[in-house]
Amino acid sequence: MGQPIFITGAGIISAIGLNKQEVLSSLLAGKSGIADVRYLNTVHREFPVGEVKLTDEQMIQMLDIKPDAVTTRTSLMGMLAMKEALNEANLTCEDIHRAAFVSGTTVGGMDKIEQYYLDFVNNDNKNDYIAVHDCGTCSEMICDYFGDFAFVTSVSTACSSAANAIIRGAAMIRAGLFDIAVVGGSECITKFHLNGFNSLKILDTGLCRPFDETRSGLNLGEGAAYLVLESDDSVRRRNVKPLSVLAGYGNVCDAYHQTASSPEGEGPYRAMREALEDAGLNVSNIDYVNAHGTATPNNDLTESMALKRLFSDKIPPVSSTKAFTGHTTSATGSIEAVICILAIRNQFLPVNLNWKNQMENGITPVTGMHPEKPVTNVLCNSFGFGGNDSSLLLSSSDNYEKE
Amino acid sequence: MKRNSFYIKSTAQISIQQPLCDDWMENPVWYDSNYVRSVEPDYKQYILPLEARRMTRIMKRSLTTSNVAIKKSGLTLPDAIITGTGWGCMDNTEQFLDTLCNEGEQLLKPTLFMQSTHNTISSHIAINTHNNGYNITYSHRGTSFDMALFDAYLQYKSGKLDSALVGSHDEVTPTSFSFLKKMGLVGCDDEICGEASASVVLSSRTSDTHSAVAAIRIVYKPSASEIHSAVNQLLADAEMRMDDISAVMVGISGNKNTDKPYHDIVDNCFKDKTILHYKHVFGECFSASALGFYAADCCLKYGYVPDFLYVDKSHGMIGPPKNLLLVNHSDGKIFSFVLLRYY
Repeated sequence: MGQPIFITGAGIISAIGLNKQEVLSSLLAGKSGIADVRYLNTVHREFPVGEVKLTDEQMIQMLDIKPDAVTTRTSLMGMLAMKEALNEANLTCEDIHRAAFVSGTTVGGMDKIEQYYLDFVNNDNKNDYIAVHDCGTCSEMICDYFGDFAFVTSVSTACSSAANAIIRGAAMIRAGLFDIAVVGGSECITKFHLNGFNSLKILDTGLCRPFDETRSGLNLGEGAAYLVLESDDSVRRRNVKPLSVLAGYGNVCDAYHQTASSPEGEGPYRAMREALEDAGLNVSNIDYVNAHGTATPNNDLTESMALKRLFSDKIPPVSSTKAFTGHTTSATGSIEAVICILAIRNQFLPVNLNWKNQMENGITPVTGMHPEKPVTNVLCNSFGFGGNDSSLLLSSSDNYEKE
Repeated sequence: MKRNSFYIKSTAQISIQQPLCDDWMENPVWYDSNYVRSVEPDYKQYILPLEARRMTRIMKRSLTTSNVAIKKSGLTLPDAIITGTGWGCMDNTEQFLDTLCNEGEQLLKPTLFMQSTHNTISSHIAINTHNNGYNITYSHRGTSFDMALFDAYLQYKSGKLDSALVGSHDEVTPTSFSFLKKMGLVGCDDEICGEASASVVLSSRTSDTHSAVAAIRIVYKPSASEIHSAVNQLLADAEMRMDDISAVMVGISGNKNTDKPYHDIVDNCFKDKTILHYKHVFGECFSASALGFYAADCCLKYGYVPDFLYVDKSHGMIGPPKNLLLVNHSDGKIFSFVLLRYY
């Protein structure tokens, strides 16, 4: 069992809102952010997407960055989400100077690379943008906006990147290396991965339907979310009130296939089991599972298998919130962690939109938002290409305050 | 049990030197070119030809160095696979981008996309070795290997794992070389741009080992005094004094831009130490520090430092090295210190 880590700030930007309050309102109203393509310059207008409803220029203005600065959509969204998290945690410059930053992304600055690639090849007009492609630069651009962090690193495990960034930050706090870690991930939609997912034939031309018998693929989304993680000592010393607790986590590899899960959901099962063991909790303690639930035939079936194997006939309320946000790929782990925190703090169950038909061998997801019992401990799943499967266990901070 | 030393059981490399062996210690291959691709081994011994045909160079290299290191280590199933890569699977990424930008959004191949993400390498190794353990990929430019090693070391120290396969892999295609050169990062001045694939198996077991990771510190945008204190903390972590360090190995490569932070650090912190370098032998790329680690480990294992690794001999030659300190930086922003001890 590992030491619990306190969450003292959280920020989010996604298709269903530019901050926690807006995201909460959308979740409670059952209002999806998935719509026709509006911002991405693509010929594929047939695929609905969960875009953040801002242009890059609007974000640059909101952040008060020089209009001609070299930026990427991923880093701009990251800065906006992180700003909300840092403000809430009320960190000083000195706190930041002692803190670690761990960020997850895969696409990084690909939006600018695909825009200027032919310039890089043919001339020297856009050379400044070559450097913004990689994950490391993306992280540094985000955190440098706020000051001088003590440590920065970038995790890239595809769609579990942000979840693994959270895990890494928590592990460094547990090891006593840092008191505070700002963790999460950011990812914008690019033509590169829209076309990639299209080439794999896993994009739905309609609205995605996680865990539904008729599901036929995912809707891409974009966004960013960051959490401020702190040790017990730091929370006491700074006299701040935690929002929630990261009670445990699990990171495993399915080790089965580059883009498909093992039929029995070995990776998802192990990830959730490890998170439970790490938190010192058992299956009956879990009040809600925020599933990875991408709405691809393969994910939802294998995740269902894993849930059934872990919880047998006592499956807690489960939902995928991807019909709200779209699949935000590398950012999904932290975006859904913030959704879980909102669920715990506001005592509701985020519903599984667009579900109508029970899938064969599948779980039955939550369609009503009123919980039968208090939402205290929740599992939040993120699974990536290559079977990089991770699960976070988030808990109400009330339990820890009583101690 | 105090878990300060994480023992190095085995290493394997594919680089611009002779692959999968330590021949470079006696017979280094020297190059006149700014850009050299790795010397490929005969993969038939390591990967089924049918499977190899479907793999890009970085996939073949990473799988082979991993499998060779695992085999040599005697540990079939390390507790974790922790991987670094700066630019990841560039060959596939580039082909996909090229089609996207030149031919539009219609003719894109799924295989290129499937194997374009950075974690393709680490999960491919897990799939191939049937390893369900902790698996993660760090992608942070020239410190990607250091980040991976740091995770493994910290988890070992915390008792979360007893063994790990740590590797870092970067391929440099002709197009990515031209991009890196435009950035002024690689292949400038007297520098050689190489490629790197290096894997190491670390374990808590002290049998069949010659060396161990004794401490790691990584700092971001440090002031001169913060660099000093990072070095002091590193020595304290390992319960050593500066006198215990036989030599400091730095990433000086002949590129004036990226060499400057090394010269500054040597002047400020290691003026009296013997300074070694390795990038004139192995070349520069985002995973080059993994080859620095490998080279330092070879020096500890064989008990000598080859003549050509000395930056200068003003402090004389050293005997069999006892403790080697590796210094790496990324863009003068991140500084990594890895201390290896002879066992």
